[in-house]
Amino acid sequence: MDNKVFTAGIDIGSNFIKLILMDYTVDNPIVIDKMTEKIRKRDPSQVADEMLQVIYRRHGIQYEDIGYLASTGEGDLIKRKKGHFYGMTTHARGGKFMYNDAVTVVDMGALYVRAIKISEDARVLDYKMTGQCASGSGQFVENISRYLGLSLEEVGSISLQADEPEVSSGICAVLAETDVINMVSRGISTPNIIKGIHLSIASRIIKLLSSLKAESPIMLTGGMALNEGMMQALEEQLAETGKKFELKTHPDAIYAGAMGAALWGGYRYYKLKEKELEAV
Amino acid sequence: MQNLENIINLCEEKAFDLHFSHAKKWKAEDASRVIVGYLPIYFPREIVHAANGMAVGIMGAGDRKQIIKGDAYYQSYICHLPRGVIEMALDDNLDDFDGFIFPAICDCIRNLSGMFRISKKGKFSRYFDYPQNFKRDIGGNFYLEELLKILDDIKAINNVKPSKEDLNRSIKLYNKNRRLIERLYDVRQEYPWRLSAVETYYILRAGLSITVEEHNKILEDVLEHIENNERGEQMDNIRVVVSGSFCEQPPIGLIKSIELAGCYIIDDDFMLGSRWIIGDVDEDTEHPVDALVRAYIERSTFSSAVYDVGNPKGKRLVDLVKRRDADGVIFSAASFCDPALLDRPELQKSCDNAGIPHINFQYHENTGQFKVIKEQAGTFSDSIKLWA
Repeated sequence: MDNKVFTAGIDIGSNFIKLILMDYTVDNPIVIDKMTEKIRKRDPSQVADEMLQVIYRRHGIQYEDIGYLASTGEGDLIKRKKGHFYGMTTHARGGKFMYNDAVTVVDMGALYVRAIKISEDARVLDYKMTGQCASGSGQFVENISRYLGLSLEEVGSISLQADEPEVSSGICAVLAETDVINMVSRGISTPNIIKGIHLSIASRIIKLLSSLKAESPIMLTGGMALNEGMMQALEEQLAETGKKFELKTHPDAIYAGAMGAALWGGYRYYKLKEKELEAV
Repeated sequence: MQNLENIINLCEEKAFDLHFSHAKKWKAEDASRVIVGYLPIYFPREIVHAANGMAVGIMGAGDRKQIIKGDAYYQSYICHLPRGVIEMALDDNLDDFDGFIFPAICDCIRNLSGMFRISKKGKFSRYFDYPQNFKRDIGGNFYLEELLKILDDIKAINNVKPSKEDLNRSIKLYNKNRRLIERLYDVRQEYPWRLSAVETYYILRAGLSITVEEHNKILEDVLEHIENNERGEQMDNIRVVVSGSFCEQPPIGLIKSIELAGCYIIDDDFMLGSRWIIGDVDEDTEHPVDALVRAYIERSTFSSAVYDVGNPKGKRLVDLVKRRDADGVIFSAASFCDPALLDRPELQKSCDNAGIPHINFQYHENTGQFKVIKEQAGTFSDSIKLWA
């Protein structure tokens, strides 16, 4: 622990809280611990605090040992922290950290999808995001999977089993849910329903990328980026529309926001140190 | 001395009591007391105080009153404040007020004064015109006459004609009030985490509906708590000046959102009337009303509702940003607020020329959704912290 500079990022989403602990001692910071927790109707700031306590115990540290604890997402509600960064800023940084060549980051979260154009130094240059409707979001996939009696973890692999996907409404979550009920009563198989949902979301993402005039390579972040069925649907839709985007993801894609917060926190930690020295 | 949390809770309660029960109770204790309501921005409360009265700031109903009748009085393209105020008047929230003063800041307020007259609210209802000519012998004389009319209005109710000593005493109390408020802002400039902008807002707004003596005591207590004692923890936030909210007040959620997004509000124009005169008014003079006139003519702060030839408000805003060591400006004005929105391009230009970053947005006093505002303020904060 001696002379180490720890930074932590907490990303409070609508479903999950993601926590990253980094060692920012060196130029090339490394992730030393990570944790996710489903909120399950609890007070998010309370859950985040409990997660932090777990991390502190694991590493024998306390709040004062963290050089910069940064929040993002809805993490502004956490009382004890050093700073807060906006979600887009952190996803851009986290995406770039996981795949350094990325020039576009697509954050596929529970409530919306954001396509973000980024610079060499992970600065947000432009962005487009899905509107108010939830039909392009992870929450929608979760709702449908619940109707179909699936766990979120198995949605991706079941989607891969589809042979004749049935595409649902890509515009409205309510209509899409009605579509799904009709599909079930028409005897459409679960893999084909799920795959249809993924294709519908994929087509919305491709529209976002087109309107952003996005460039390759594209780093996919957020919870949905780990859904292999979603990834396959995206690739199929891209092939169908003739767009040549190189898609990348990472096993830690869900942590992109938290990771970005921890990274920007590290950057600010040293900036503030510099200022302190200047003042002296 | 009460603990700070209790003081803040008390101030919140007083600040948003739309029935002004504290002021009404104060009046009920003495038959010669009067309460006079005034609308934003500024009114020299000293003269009402000297005449055994309390000037009570009516800052609108905010998001705490459902507007039904008020909407019938104003078109959809008019700001929200007058709807709330007329609703309060028609719902008897303002009963027991002896008079109402409508400072001349825009047509909406002027029309509101007419509605109060037609509705026969209060024993007097005066549209109070401020001089736009800042020469003592022209605008000053005009303003003096206006102030004397108010004193006559009050005398007609309680038969109190304040003496020179009464006026000097009142001026002294309000000088103290302004000094304490400035000290509060000075402490917040240095240690903004010790008292949040929302808490500061409660404390200042409470001062509009209690006596100046009580408010001074509150301010002294608050300062005692925060001047030399640590409270809260310093965060890595940017420091901003909020400009444009001088009349229709922003909802508390908006102020909170700006802070949660990573901005310390180290100066603002939310309760501008309480900070209008910069420095002290002469409090030991043979002509105290004239001292108030001179203070207005010579030492008014800047605002979109004041003609400012020779002393441009853009420059004054830039000076404020520099003095407060702020990182940027958030222009936050009420929708349809002509004075604020018409001034905004000029103020933005001044900021651009001085290299001061800024963003802008609009609100209604009863806005309930702040996600977009939080995102704007959050990206503004990030851009300054990471790339400025």
